[in-house]
Amino acid sequence: MSRPGFVLEVDDRTPPLIVHEGLGFRLESFPLGTRVIYPPESLPAVPDVDQAIRDALLHPQDMDPLPELLFAGMKLTIAFDDISLPLPTMRPPDIRGRIIEHVLTMAAEAGVDDVELIAANALHRRMTAAELKHIVGERVFRSFYPQGKLYNFDAEDRDNLSHLGTTEKGEDIEISKRAAESDLLVYVNVNLVAMDGGHKSVGIGLASYKSLRHHHNAKTMVQSRSFMDHKHSAMHHSAWRIGRVIKDTVKVFQIETTLNNDIFPKPYDFLQKREWEWSLKDQASMLAMRRGLSVAPPKLKHKMFHDLRSVYGLTGVNAGEVEAVHAKTLEKVHEQHLVEVQGQSDVLVMGIPYVGPYNVNSSLNPILATCMGLGYYFNSYLGQPVVRKGGAVILYHPLNEGFNQLHHPSYVDFYEEVLAESTDPAVVGEKYEQQFAEDPWYRHLYRTSHAYHGVHPFYMWYWAAHAMDHVDEVIWVGADRKVAARLGFRAATTLADALEMASGTVGSSPSITYLHNPPHLLAHVK
Amino acid sequence: MNSGLVKGGIADVKQVARGWRWGRRPQVPRSAEQWVPANKSTVFRSEWSRRRPAIAAREVVQKVGLEPLFRSQVRAKVEGLDVLDRVEGPVIFVANHASHLDTPLILLSLPDEWRRRTAVAAAADYFFDTWWRAVGSVLLFNTFPIDRRGGVMAATPGEVLADGWSLVIFPEGTRSTDGWMGKFRMGAAFLAKEYGVPVVPVAHRGTFAAMPRGQNWPARGRRQLTIRFGEPLVAGPDESVREFAPRIKDAVASLLDEDKSTWWDAKRRAASGTTPDPTGPQVAQWRRVWEQTESPAADAPSRKLTAWRR
Repeated sequence: MSRPGFVLEVDDRTPPLIVHEGLGFRLESFPLGTRVIYPPESLPAVPDVDQAIRDALLHPQDMDPLPELLFAGMKLTIAFDDISLPLPTMRPPDIRGRIIEHVLTMAAEAGVDDVELIAANALHRRMTAAELKHIVGERVFRSFYPQGKLYNFDAEDRDNLSHLGTTEKGEDIEISKRAAESDLLVYVNVNLVAMDGGHKSVGIGLASYKSLRHHHNAKTMVQSRSFMDHKHSAMHHSAWRIGRVIKDTVKVFQIETTLNNDIFPKPYDFLQKREWEWSLKDQASMLAMRRGLSVAPPKLKHKMFHDLRSVYGLTGVNAGEVEAVHAKTLEKVHEQHLVEVQGQSDVLVMGIPYVGPYNVNSSLNPILATCMGLGYYFNSYLGQPVVRKGGAVILYHPLNEGFNQLHHPSYVDFYEEVLAESTDPAVVGEKYEQQFAEDPWYRHLYRTSHAYHGVHPFYMWYWAAHAMDHVDEVIWVGADRKVAARLGFRAATTLADALEMASGTVGSSPSITYLHNPPHLLAHVK
Repeated sequence: MNSGLVKGGIADVKQVARGWRWGRRPQVPRSAEQWVPANKSTVFRSEWSRRRPAIAAREVVQKVGLEPLFRSQVRAKVEGLDVLDRVEGPVIFVANHASHLDTPLILLSLPDEWRRRTAVAAAADYFFDTWWRAVGSVLLFNTFPIDRRGGVMAATPGEVLADGWSLVIFPEGTRSTDGWMGKFRMGAAFLAKEYGVPVVPVAHRGTFAAMPRGQNWPARGRRQLTIRFGEPLVAGPDESVREFAPRIKDAVASLLDEDKSTWWDAKRRAASGTTPDPTGPQVAQWRRVWEQTESPAADAPSRKLTAWRR
């Protein structure tokens, strides 16, 4: 039986706690009284994955069973989440591949000939053939990729986009033409955290810049409180409006999956245990890993972490009408991630791990690190932020990984030119977003290489807008000072220094909360 | 060798050794206690500990290791051993429990022939939770596991008694937190009644002062301990366990009184029912602890007379 998440109060019996910091981690002794939020332990996985998938497809929510929606001569499109999910990457076979195999088996039985598979990567980088193969599995890959029927979505391919009109608020809806013109669009998602899925899948995953700019902007993100709570997220409200229009045009059969918290395989499993329950073996593994990391060259460290494949268990799979399915999905996600927290604190501490959605097989550059901390982790709440308005955020990351020129070319210019001028999300968006979004060179790299779209760094910065608006002080522990300064933040060597620096904002004995994340958690702050 | 690697490694090991209390029992943060999973009781078989090779090994460990070490750290005054001449083994030694020193004190106070045939009932969840702790306590003290929370054990105390071994039982079930005696459980009385063996009450003082809970080595200065064996008690043919158990407790209380005062005074007080309550006075906790932190005074001088010193 898995234990629920809980809030630890650091006392004299508490051992030092793990804090992730990029390609490494440290043991931190927090001040007495610090609250530490631990996620629930891994939920038990479904005993028979294939049976669960079959059940979901044959008994969908508010829709006919999938075999009844399939017929000979139809146009079937299967879209699926890209490499940004799950994090870290799943040990094969990927759950999306297993589901797609079931869908295709049913489609073959129904005599469907016209099938295309599209990775819903929106403005994310194109995945390589190997990455696509990892997601869909060898069988599907071999059957579709060589024929060009399995491909990455191209949001800049004007000929293959379809404008479906606007929402009541005037938001453009422009998505993949193939998806829009299909008789049935099956979407296969991995609902790793509460922000994923629902109308965000098709409405954002298969959309172009023209459509995305309506909700991916500083103003919307500041009003998304939080974007892990779709009922209180302006971004999701917009996605829902868009999704409802899409639903009128395209028949969408949504398949959502939820995973448990089994992130770290052996011998890294100590990273997801509660520290005081570490066995001698866990302590030895930790010490060995720390020593190894301290001497390993950066490349080897990168390889050690990025080669890690998680052994997630499937906790649920639901299929059918988007909103009905998503409600069921969120129940499971909340069961796995939700922790009740009483009240806000003055300081929020978060350790940024080595991977985020946009640096799989890549490097976590300073902008992505900011997005992870002030975006994803800060927004891991329901109700109200874990830190009070005007409080301080302390983040751990060295900010020294630099930029991956292949994946993040526009990030370099964003960092060198845009951030040098202003770090205010609203200001930089207003002034530079259009220019980056329409830059022909970035567009070329996005379409033909493996680069994120030119506008993508702006989105990362908007992701952090709510946090920047909410807190008065952001301090990075162990970070490169110059880099932190460029981002508009300060750097400290130790937690004690950071607290000292924050004392001007929150006083000398602030209340502190540390999010013990990963594994993923969602703080329900009352 | 990279000196940074070595230095960092040493710092890490130090931090972990301190944080995870190497060599001591791990602790759970108070706010996490309610989430500690129920311990699966792993039962380590202990029959081997009462066979010849183990007995021989224990003899060496106790005589060569434990006894000299014990005597070097504390001083013990033993009284009342003559009662053992008047009983035939096996018996059940029932004592108050205030410290980890209690067990070595009782064992090392016993005459050798008694000590070699005496086993100690020890909490399964504390002394038998890991194999090395189990083997250690078995070799050192001849312990066998009993379940404090009620459960099935590999060897029941009854079997050990039936094999002719005397038992040491601490009916309080755990060490006192303030040095005063706690509530006695019925187990010892039940066993004595069931197997028809006499109970020898044992009272000792000073172990709490020398090494209370939370301390893992006796305090400096060779503290004084006293131990007193009382007249054997036998349950009457019509006496129930419920009637017998308080009699054992009273006997231990009276022995404690005797240890503090004199045999005659204690006898008179016992007769008039005014034996001081062994659970201690109902005063502020600090006063209870304060009183118990004082070692009992020894009759004999603690060291050679100064006159004989050069």
